[in-house]
Amino acid sequence: MLGYIAKRFTYMIPTLILTSMLVFFLIELPPGDYFESYVNELIAAGETIDPKQIEFLRTEYGFDRPVWERYWIWATGMLVGDFGYSFEYELPVREVIGDRLIFTIIVTFFTIIFTWLIAFPIGIYSATHQYSWGDYGLTFLGLLGLATPNFLLALIMMYLANQWFGTAIGGLMDPEFVDKPFSFAKFLSVMEHLWIPVIVIGTSGTAAMIRRVRANLLDELRKPYVTTARAKGVPEFKGLMKYPFRMSLNFFIADIGSVLPQVISGAEIVAIVLSLETTGPLLIQALQSQDMYLAGSFLMLLAFLTVIGVLISDIALGFLDPRIRLQGGVSR
Amino acid sequence: MSKSATRLPEDHYVNEAPFDPKAIEKLTPEQEAVFLASQMQLMWWKFKKHKLAVFCGIFLLLMYLMAAFAEFLAPYNLEAKNSQYIYAPPQSINLFHEGEFVGPFVYDYKKELDLKTFQRVYTEDTTKVIPLSFFCSGDEYNFWGMIPADNHLMCADIQKPIYLLGSDRLGRDLLSRIIYGARISLTIGLIGIMISFVLGIVIGGFAGYYGGWVDLVVQRLIEVIQSLPTLPLWLVLAAIMPANWSPILIYFGITVILGLIDWTGLARAVRSKLLALREEDYVLAARLMGASPARIIGLHLVPGFMSHLIASATITIPTMILGETALSFLGLGLRSPTVSWGVLLNEAQNINVVAITPWLILPVVPVILVILAFNFFGDGLRDAADPYG
Amino acid sequence: MRGMLKTTLSMVLTVWMSGISFAGEAPMIADKVAKGELPPLEERLPKEPMIVDYAAENKTEGKYGGDMRILMGKAKDTRQMAVYSYARLVGFGPDFILGPDIAKSFDVKEGREFTFTLREGHRWSDGHLLTTEDFRYFWEDMVKHPELGRKGVPTDMLVEGEEPTFEVIDELTFKYTWSKPNPAFLPALAGASPLYIYRPAHYMKQFHTKYTDADKLEEMAAEAEAKDWTALHTRKQRQRRAENPDLPTLQAWWNRTPPPSTRFVFERNPFYHRVDPNGNQLPYIDNVIMNIVSKDVIPAKAGTGETDLQARYLRFDHIPFLKQGEASGKFRTLLWNLGRGSQVALFPNLNASDPVWRDLNRDVRFRRALSLAINRDEINESIYFGLAQPSANTVLPSSKFHRDEYTTAWTSHDTKKANALLDDMGLDKRDEDGTRLLPNGARLEITVESAGESTEETDVLELISAHVKDIGVKMFVRASQRDIFRRRANSGETVMSVFNGLDNGVPSADMSPQELAPTAQPQLQWPQWGQYNETGGKAGTKVDMESAETQLALYNQWMIAPDMEKKTEIWHEMLGNYTDQVFSIGTVNNSRQPVVISAELRNVPEEATYSWEPTSYFGAYRPDTFWFDR
Repeated sequence: MLGYIAKRFTYMIPTLILTSMLVFFLIELPPGDYFESYVNELIAAGETIDPKQIEFLRTEYGFDRPVWERYWIWATGMLVGDFGYSFEYELPVREVIGDRLIFTIIVTFFTIIFTWLIAFPIGIYSATHQYSWGDYGLTFLGLLGLATPNFLLALIMMYLANQWFGTAIGGLMDPEFVDKPFSFAKFLSVMEHLWIPVIVIGTSGTAAMIRRVRANLLDELRKPYVTTARAKGVPEFKGLMKYPFRMSLNFFIADIGSVLPQVISGAEIVAIVLSLETTGPLLIQALQSQDMYLAGSFLMLLAFLTVIGVLISDIALGFLDPRIRLQGGVSR
Repeated sequence: MSKSATRLPEDHYVNEAPFDPKAIEKLTPEQEAVFLASQMQLMWWKFKKHKLAVFCGIFLLLMYLMAAFAEFLAPYNLEAKNSQYIYAPPQSINLFHEGEFVGPFVYDYKKELDLKTFQRVYTEDTTKVIPLSFFCSGDEYNFWGMIPADNHLMCADIQKPIYLLGSDRLGRDLLSRIIYGARISLTIGLIGIMISFVLGIVIGGFAGYYGGWVDLVVQRLIEVIQSLPTLPLWLVLAAIMPANWSPILIYFGITVILGLIDWTGLARAVRSKLLALREEDYVLAARLMGASPARIIGLHLVPGFMSHLIASATITIPTMILGETALSFLGLGLRSPTVSWGVLLNEAQNINVVAITPWLILPVVPVILVILAFNFFGDGLRDAADPYG
Repeated sequence: MRGMLKTTLSMVLTVWMSGISFAGEAPMIADKVAKGELPPLEERLPKEPMIVDYAAENKTEGKYGGDMRILMGKAKDTRQMAVYSYARLVGFGPDFILGPDIAKSFDVKEGREFTFTLREGHRWSDGHLLTTEDFRYFWEDMVKHPELGRKGVPTDMLVEGEEPTFEVIDELTFKYTWSKPNPAFLPALAGASPLYIYRPAHYMKQFHTKYTDADKLEEMAAEAEAKDWTALHTRKQRQRRAENPDLPTLQAWWNRTPPPSTRFVFERNPFYHRVDPNGNQLPYIDNVIMNIVSKDVIPAKAGTGETDLQARYLRFDHIPFLKQGEASGKFRTLLWNLGRGSQVALFPNLNASDPVWRDLNRDVRFRRALSLAINRDEINESIYFGLAQPSANTVLPSSKFHRDEYTTAWTSHDTKKANALLDDMGLDKRDEDGTRLLPNGARLEITVESAGESTEETDVLELISAHVKDIGVKMFVRASQRDIFRRRANSGETVMSVFNGLDNGVPSADMSPQELAPTAQPQLQWPQWGQYNETGGKAGTKVDMESAETQLALYNQWMIAPDMEKKTEIWHEMLGNYTDQVFSIGTVNNSRQPVVISAELRNVPEEATYSWEPTSYFGAYRPDTFWFDR
């Protein structure tokens, strides 16, 4: 077991290194730099700038150093928790990220639970009642969530929630609670706002998960031991629960690897529309204004979250299913 | 029991009909048809059983036809705008005017500028009837950019506008824009899929066939790409694309971006299939006969599960369509004056529309329908692709 | 009886003698004074505070109290507070006239000697006195310091490269002198993003090697993750972005929330120097709460009453939704006039690198023809609800410089005349679809590039492309991205761009007419000439077109003009040339800016001009006089 964990761990490291290089490369690609964007932004707003100030800032932040040197400094810095400097905020990236990561994790967590709660029963029902009206109907509902563009759905729900329930527009909580320490009232406010992003992001992942659950369960149900159990007169439900269902639980855990990146990226768009206090809006803004270190560090953190999530699911799977350990990996 | 059955002492039954020793092995004509049927035939038969998939397939075909004949079907041209009818709500087609059957027509609008709410208020003017005619002459256009014509399926007799789905902020007919928008939205997925396909097969193929360190590297690469959230990747890639390219180039740029992100799923599937299949004898035989790896992969291995690939590809097309809408939302994809469903949705993405002119959200309906259709169609294809399953 | 008379008399006497009678302060401050945490009112206000003229500015005396919520789209927007509060050494009033604010008075001799007198007893927000030491610190210990002053002297303080001499006359008076006039100095001090020539010296000295031990400074720098003490000093003294909660300020509200945050609370400055005519210390409002949210969500939030004062991120097309939301009774939507010279303007690139296009653009007949072809009434109807003013890219009707001939220069919708002009130029051959042909046989197809950020621009351009079709010109719109858009214009690759018109549509004679002449690179019709002027000849190309040279010459004349009369004359000449030569093609101006205010907020003008310069958005209308009627 330990060997398995160690192996997965060591696989994680080159992945992360490759990811960091890819991220840095991609961020560097667009021509121009932050300062140019900043100047143009001011001009667009009809404001005035002192050109000397900009040049000064440019040399201050070491934009005269070669690319690979900057990459090295950033990458090694991340290992010790120094994520670089954000030009937009004029603060270390670490401080800017602050609470946002926690809220991202909260939203992601609830969304995954939501997706599971909906997709799993539907998937099982679909598998056992294949081609029935129920199967079609429920799959249809699930697909409806997938088919509707997230950003539009989020906007509409935000508006309706305000019209019907008086919920404040956007955000993960009412504005008064933003910087206040945790309290019951704050918790309630977050719950009041949380359901919109969870539903919007969750519904788009549900359909895919239903399909995967169904496919997996169908595969199990076709195996000879199920036929044997049926032939031997085991009641349908018991036959279903005792073995095939437990087999598909494996899949439950293994599927985090597919669900996690999709949830995180889906969350980004919805976060922009709803102005959530998660990483989404900041990341988009950083990418658009080429605030390099902020954008790069965010991307790395999100990638890291995903990789860790997958690692945890693999390890959990390893515990659950001895075959995985012995084979040395999951063939997803 | 035939009358001529001979009754033996123990009451056994013997059939008098002539005995053909090979009867067991002989098949009925239907069974023979099944046995001798090609893979394609079998797939088609299995597919037909999935009624919903067939229905969706027909629907999709109709949509593509609609996109092809957009100029004819749309009541108005792409450039047609009318500053007198900005934000006009949808009109309903009526048949009876004051109790008499008049044929299909719409009522004209009475327009008022409300300077207190800054809205244009439109009411149905039940006195002015605008009859509709079919297969008539309307706006001029160039069919597929080449053949000048002016036939339209439907237009108004008098030179008054008909806005069956309402008009937008420049007085452009939403129905026409949705029809024209189908052209880009429906095809962008196809091209993106093709790119994805090629990449997936090539990369996954080599990984699965060679195994070893090639496989390792490819697997890590796939993990890296999959662990990065797609949205920021899009943003970065789209930011690299020079934003002043012509709309056509941008279109192709976007299909490439969408395709580049999505090949990993296919590659994984190809790889795992190949890992299993390459131990088969026929592969060994081919190798011994001196076939190159590319030939083996391309000619022998891949066709075996091509149907699976096609099925999963079909299910990815909706992702591409949604991807295009997402890119437009972020302001990275196509932009006005190009028209696609993503552009239309982007124009609907603001609080004004949701609160005051909600009919501009209608383009979401064809998006949903097409995505649903592709999904069911793809499901049907996938079930059919495994005819022995 | 006699006792009562005596008491009444003494009361009246005291009241009469105290000068500023019925002097009031906010209850929350009064509390602190009672507890001894703050000095009493007379010690907090300068001896002669700045008295806002309520009669002239149409204001009413207000009540203390309340929190004003405003919404912003980015953390950087905290600098808008300094724009809105608008406490300046000298500042513009709502009548666009420059007057003393922080300075008690100022005197200008020959346009080159500027003497300022401060107010006695004027204190920073932490209670320390404001004296000329704060101005000396800025000049000698910052600008002229070998390390801190690396950036050099601010551009507005240089006249033809020459630095001023700075003199401290006494504790409250100081003087800047140049050898030639510096007309840019005062407007720069009064600007929305102003030239700050002072710092809170008592606070900043702890970050300066001249006053603090170098080793200690290094320690502090390392702790704050700054490169060295100069970086630390620079970071700490940034007044614009309100990000250092410890930095004392002279503005009405003081940010006490350390970044990063999505909710900044600007608290009342107990030492603010302005009072209302009854001697009540301003501001009336206790706190300004700035919430940072996604900018797309701001119109929705404004329309549901989640803000008390909002104009930023609200546009004309949001008005129906805002008006609808007024039914809730929580807010009102005012419609101010936008101060831009033209909402959307076309800029033919006179520095285009393609010689064919360069010649075309430089031919005034071409520019005039394009301008005549545009149907501005249709644009006004469709996009601005008929409320804007069809006009060339020039000053607004509300400006003192307004003349009808500027607004109507080449703006009549006259397709015949436009066609005639183009025919005149020799472009009379046409293609089969009516598009004119250039002498070299190519079609007359213009690609207009935009920064791709504004649906307003896209819509106007769609209408314009239909209009110019009538004169045989085919127009394509290429939406680009801001940085690329600018770069291409600068390098001459762009043939024509679209952007906002004049930034300042309500100038006065002492404001610089720089936008009317090739003075800066961001000017899209002559970026290279502008760059040449900006860099003093080091980059860009010299002006080589007569009409543009005239403008530049006039601008230089304005810089040394001795009095207002001459300056006004030059302004008119430049405006006339600018519109007659159609250096940029304007569409409409005087459109409306929705301003959402809480239904209870008072002293906000019903009608006003919303502009960066000179009114600093809300600044000149004095948000410190706004109050909640509860």
